[in-house]
Amino acid sequence: MSIHAVSVNSVSKKFRLYHERNQSLKSAVLRRRRSVHEDFWALQDISFEVPEGSTFGLIGSNGSGKSTLLKCLARIYTPELGSITYKGRIAALLEVGSGFHPELSGRENIFLNGSILGMSRKEITRKFDEIVDFSGVEAFIDQPVKNYSSGMYVRLGFSVAINVAPDILVVDEVLAVGDAEFQDRCKQKFVQFREEGKTVILVSHAMDMVQDMCDQVAWLSHGKLVATGEARPTIASYLKSVEPQ
Amino acid sequence: MIQYFKDLLAARELLANLTLREVRGQYKRTIFGRLWSLLNPLATMLVYTIVFAFILRIQPDAGDPSGVDVFAVWLLCGLLPWAFFASVVQTGMGSIIANAGLVQKVYFPRIVLPLSLTGSIGINWLFEMAVLGVVLLFVGSFFLPWVPLVLVMMVLLAVYATGVALVLAIANVYFRDTQYLMGIVMQIWFYLTPVIYPVSLLKEPSESVGGLLGTPITVLDVYRLNPMERYVEIMRNLLYDNRWPAVEDMGYFVAIAFLSLAIGVVVFRRFENRMAELI
Ligand SMILES: Nc1ncnc2c1ncn2[C@@H]1O[C@H](COP(=O)(O)OP(=O)(O)O)[C@@H](O)[C@H]1O
Ligand SMILES: [Mg+2]
Repeated sequence: MSIHAVSVNSVSKKFRLYHERNQSLKSAVLRRRRSVHEDFWALQDISFEVPEGSTFGLIGSNGSGKSTLLKCLARIYTPELGSITYKGRIAALLEVGSGFHPELSGRENIFLNGSILGMSRKEITRKFDEIVDFSGVEAFIDQPVKNYSSGMYVRLGFSVAINVAPDILVVDEVLAVGDAEFQDRCKQKFVQFREEGKTVILVSHAMDMVQDMCDQVAWLSHGKLVATGEARPTIASYLKSVEPQ
Repeated sequence: MIQYFKDLLAARELLANLTLREVRGQYKRTIFGRLWSLLNPLATMLVYTIVFAFILRIQPDAGDPSGVDVFAVWLLCGLLPWAFFASVVQTGMGSIIANAGLVQKVYFPRIVLPLSLTGSIGINWLFEMAVLGVVLLFVGSFFLPWVPLVLVMMVLLAVYATGVALVLAIANVYFRDTQYLMGIVMQIWFYLTPVIYPVSLLKEPSESVGGLLGTPITVLDVYRLNPMERYVEIMRNLLYDNRWPAVEDMGYFVAIAFLSLAIGVVVFRRFENRMAELI
């Protein structure tokens, strides 16, 4: 077997952009054969490999397709062409706290959210204290989460997600939220992840952080892969390209 | 296909948790809590009983052989299953869109969303049926020997309703008209099902019209194509009359129920891939 945690093979993802509101029967009937949509390729022929146990960054300007690629990795989108193969269990952290039920308590939501993310009840019970500890909301754990501040909400969501203990973790710009102390804790958690030999794929606009954390990066522009390679030189050439002339 | 069922099996805990989320979250912060689940059908029953039994004077035959003759109870034997069916179809249909945030951010077998609604609405229905059971005993229906069959039939209605909900949930992601269209369809469907009037009311007009377009097929035959018609008859036979339902009714409903689920699963699987980008 390969030592690649993830292999992305010629992945292309297409969105349909409709010129009118498509989601009505009338327009579908009127449209019939004559197609009024335009195909927009958000990703074109992307190939790269992520070595097992490495931290891998995706960089590129807004709209370059980073989130779309992460969603393909997380199986939320299905690419039209190409394939993605994994070695191990993958978990995605695209937005924390999705799936929290506002009326339920923090405790109930940990179990609910954990199972949405693919953990078994036993697993959650075993990690429960760790999750609560990491989130720092012990005092409110039996309160409905709608009474939480947005910071607490994010922390609890993040704690659950980070404790899923996947082999591969996919993270999209979620580190931008939370206070400095919490961000620090998250970084430590990533370091710990890496020490455990796990693979992390992350998107961030904070280049110093990407440089700090990532071994390799892939640079996307307008849905195409510009370069992949060692973090430092690739980031340098990316930064150079976006500099005003 | 096998992989699909394996994934689904792996997600059974998630299914249970989502079901509990619905059940627990539903009546939080209400004084009457779960009682609301009963008050709704009760209010409907009251209105229909006043309108149909007292004003329009609809008189269904007394239960045979049970001898029970209470319009409100007769009504509930059909109304509770219909309410469950309608609720599963209508909320299941919107379940993907209602959980858009989740679908766009986390991967899990999407089918658990409509399934969890069948589960949570089913739990409410079970509770309602238990109360109806007490009332039935009180008015002299001795249905206890039929309880196992009633439970099987309840599962079968869940199977049928889930199949319908799965197809509509997909249709609704692609065409938002679906939910509005179904609002109307469900109303018509309700009146085409003998919930508030007995089928016997249709016999005479159907006979006087005779065969349609020169065929021996009567209006009643067409009317009886509706699986919910068969279902309401079966439930009334068991609960109100205390007798065996007609074998062909049972056969028809069982066949339709499984066909519905099979179509639902196939359609759902075929179109679920593009769900996240469309909602
Ligand atoms: N569901 C969608 N439907 C249509 N277009 C989309 C959809 N999601 C993303 N896009 C388009 O794909 C492109 C890439 O978006 P995204 O992956 O979010 O970029 P990034 O995360 O790099 O900023 C953008 O032009 C965006 O408009
Ligand atoms: Mg993005």
